[in-house]
Amino acid sequence: MAEILIYGAVTSAIYAMLAVGFTLIFGVARILNLAHGSFYALGAYTAYVLTTVLHLPLLPSAVLAVLFVAGFGVGLERALVRPLRGSQIAVLMITLATSLVVEQVLFLTFGSEYRNVPSLASGKLTLLGVDISAQRLVTLGVSVTALSLLWLFIQRTRLGSAILAVSQDPEAAQYMGIPSDRVFATVMGLSAGLAALAAVLAAPFLTVQPGMGLLPMVKAFAIVIVGGLGSIPGSILGALLLGYSETIVAYLISTSWTELVSLVAVLLTLILRPAGLFGKRAAF
Amino acid sequence: MTPIRRVVGSLAWLALGATAGLTLGPAAAQNPPIRIGVPTAIQLQVGRDTTDSMQMAVDEINAKGGVLGRKLELVVADETENPETGINAIKKLTADEKVDVLVGGYTSGVTLAQLPHISRAKTIYLGVGAASPSITQRVKQDYDNYKYIFRVNPINAAHQARALADFISGFVMAEMGLKKIAIIGENAKWVQDLVPILKKGAVDAGADVRMSEFFDTQTSDFSPLLSKVKESEAQFLVVILSHGSSDVFVKQWYDARFPVPIGGIDVKSMDADFFKRVGGKSISEITINGSIRAPISPKTIPYWDAFVKKTGRGGPVYTGPGAYDAVYVYAEAVRRAKSTDPDAVIKELEKTDYVGALGRIQFDDTHDVKAGPGLVSFGFVQWQDKGERAIVWPKEMRSGKAILPPWLKK
Amino acid sequence: MLASLTWKDLIGAAAAVALLAIAPLLVKSNYLVGVLTVAIIYGLWAASWDFMSGLTGRENFGYALFIGAGAYTAGFLDTAYMANPWWGLPAGVMAAVGFSLVLGFPTLRLKGPYFALAMLSGAAILQRLMLIFWEKTGGEEGLYGIRPLLDSQLGFYYLVLGATVVSVMILVLLARSSWGVILRAIRGDEASCQAAGINVTFYKIASLAISAGFGGLGGALYAHYQLQVSPQLFSIVTTITVIIMVYVGGMGSIYGAVGGAVLLTLLTELLRDFGEWRLLVYSLILILILFFLPGGLIAPLWRKLRGAAR
Repeated sequence: MAEILIYGAVTSAIYAMLAVGFTLIFGVARILNLAHGSFYALGAYTAYVLTTVLHLPLLPSAVLAVLFVAGFGVGLERALVRPLRGSQIAVLMITLATSLVVEQVLFLTFGSEYRNVPSLASGKLTLLGVDISAQRLVTLGVSVTALSLLWLFIQRTRLGSAILAVSQDPEAAQYMGIPSDRVFATVMGLSAGLAALAAVLAAPFLTVQPGMGLLPMVKAFAIVIVGGLGSIPGSILGALLLGYSETIVAYLISTSWTELVSLVAVLLTLILRPAGLFGKRAAF
Repeated sequence: MTPIRRVVGSLAWLALGATAGLTLGPAAAQNPPIRIGVPTAIQLQVGRDTTDSMQMAVDEINAKGGVLGRKLELVVADETENPETGINAIKKLTADEKVDVLVGGYTSGVTLAQLPHISRAKTIYLGVGAASPSITQRVKQDYDNYKYIFRVNPINAAHQARALADFISGFVMAEMGLKKIAIIGENAKWVQDLVPILKKGAVDAGADVRMSEFFDTQTSDFSPLLSKVKESEAQFLVVILSHGSSDVFVKQWYDARFPVPIGGIDVKSMDADFFKRVGGKSISEITINGSIRAPISPKTIPYWDAFVKKTGRGGPVYTGPGAYDAVYVYAEAVRRAKSTDPDAVIKELEKTDYVGALGRIQFDDTHDVKAGPGLVSFGFVQWQDKGERAIVWPKEMRSGKAILPPWLKK
Repeated sequence: MLASLTWKDLIGAAAAVALLAIAPLLVKSNYLVGVLTVAIIYGLWAASWDFMSGLTGRENFGYALFIGAGAYTAGFLDTAYMANPWWGLPAGVMAAVGFSLVLGFPTLRLKGPYFALAMLSGAAILQRLMLIFWEKTGGEEGLYGIRPLLDSQLGFYYLVLGATVVSVMILVLLARSSWGVILRAIRGDEASCQAAGINVTFYKIASLAISAGFGGLGGALYAHYQLQVSPQLFSIVTTITVIIMVYVGGMGSIYGAVGGAVLLTLLTELLRDFGEWRLLVYSLILILILFFLPGGLIAPLWRKLRGAAR
């Protein structure tokens, strides 16, 4: 039981960081960003280059990786997404094509083989009688902190309330003189940065290879739908639900069934309550 | 090749032929090269090492005048890990490039998809990457249509299972004194073929198989599975994976300081730089390995060193030595058959008895490479301190003493 | 765009079909005939994806489900029951239509990303099930030993071409009939359609079933061409490939989708000389097309040509 509790929490934390970023972009800019997985992959590879190739210390490398990917997100929004924002499907396709390019560039630069990103914390701890690596606990701690900070930022700052305003009613926000382009760019940067942070934290115990972004992105997509598109608390709850149900299935049935769980959860949510747990009914 | 490049290519060939014809006489000019098609996943290390190793063999053979006065030439086509692209690659090589033979393969699923198309193209295929027994099973079921299929490497998963069972009884039980074992394997064709044989072999040897479970090839969190292993009170964990997440598995095993030693078949862990790529977390893992710098045959170490010199990489992955040998095996068969006619060459391939970098290569009646002592066999290789590797089993190949994970040392 | 077919359209279509029909005689390479066969099957998929999604604006991200259902049904019939392989074609269609009904009823009331994801998870669930129940489905390796429908590769090419031409004609005619008008109206404003007394649910389900049926037909043909089916058919990658083809062809035009399929398949072939750089170059070209021609390539081009010939 304690094992399910602890491991499920770590899995959920990683999912939450990915899903919150994904849902932010949708909530604010109304676009599905299929390049979200590329942010995750780029974060891990940047950390790899900085630590293993350039031999920088770990902590500054992690910070630099997050900043770099956030910058990449802003650049992507500026160069490719903004000109096409009028059409949902055009944005979908251009972000999809971007993710293909990123994956291929990683392939050609680093090859198909795994890379190693060193752990921030080594060793193992025993918590409630469960053996857990220190890195996983760090991941849990950092992600809870990061998400709380994001919450504070949105609730307490001017830019944050602008984000909230745009996500609630883009037109009204425009009339109120909120610079929506700046808000979009900020959100894209935040979302990319969060994905990169998840990657830097999880890379030491998960995989680092060019195709690493696809699966987490599909998970994020699923969580966001389960939680309700555009809702941050919804996606955190969705992440917990999915993280725990996967862990429980792995324990009780078999690891080969875990991937099925998230998919069935998504389909059921869509059929039974399409707005998701916290979604607004108007959203569908 | 684009039409333009083909034209330029043949012009160059004509020009060369014209000058050569003046000095060497007509014989050399009239002999077109023997074309070897290489369907493989060129973006992956297995593919690169296949191609590079084959190029080494081709260069060596050509330097000695080629085969039947003809030079060898490689034509590579990307088969990726997708059956559709794989089939496409076979068609490209056979229908368009008109190759004389195919050497390659990696994913069993892709190779199995390619088989009917290889058979329809009536082109000899020497597999060097896929281990599923179903591949050579076809030769047995339908010889006339599938006689073109041979496997040089890796050793059939069924043989691997028996070698693994032998490792469990001889090493894990007899030497380490561990009787309770757990088996986990990725949910892939060759593992599904292998596990039942392994389980039976282990039980017959007196092992107590506490659990066996398949996991998804995309598994990113092994902790639930590891917990189950712990609960099963197994003392040794047999792990079988290749496409799955080898790196994730050893990292999580190491990070949790998991109190059970691991060993089995971990295809990525056969790579020379695996230890480095996972930050040393594969320490004490044991895996079957056919590609290691050891005096398996007189040709193994020279091949290995030449490969490192040519590519600058740490050493070939598991497809390397087999790909290198496959070129020689085919060249020898052509030489004996005195032609590249598939039927004649198949007759000679069946009689193959060749000592290569893998060991002594012979084919059984399903055109599968024979395994066993004195033929092609594998060592069980362990990662030790500083990324050194030692063969710990079988006894006659042993090159070092086995170690336990650092946290289990008394 | 909604105008009925003009003689110019007919001439254009006839010219395109004639070009595809004589293509094998021009290229004289068995390999390229094979590539074209697959391209045209993709064309059939792209056209039927476009029929449902391009017209109603509900992007189907699980289209691979119908392809896979058709292919696996044909494969099962042929390998497990040793039925006459031709039965695989109607059976594949039926299976795909069956799945579309089961999934369509609960999901079609969803819009935009919700429908997209519901279908995506449907397809992914089937892919997972194929892997989990590997004893029955052949797992990762899928079904093999499927027999070819025709011994001659050229014959099969013409079979596929014929099936696709007929299917696309049906789809184009439907799309330009009152049926198509209703579908487009649903895209614009579903509530008003409902208010106007149109049975919206019927039209949506029926168009999904039609789209699925042709997808299943393509899947069955594909199985008998590849002589093998594997779970990768169900994957998001298959769907994305089809959607990209539709997009490059020009969404909502149906014939453009076929053009997009042939064009992109030939492009991948032309890029073969780039070796491992091929996919990167392909994706970069894709970005350029998507960015500078958001309306696609084939359909706008044809409209221009047709206009110029006036």
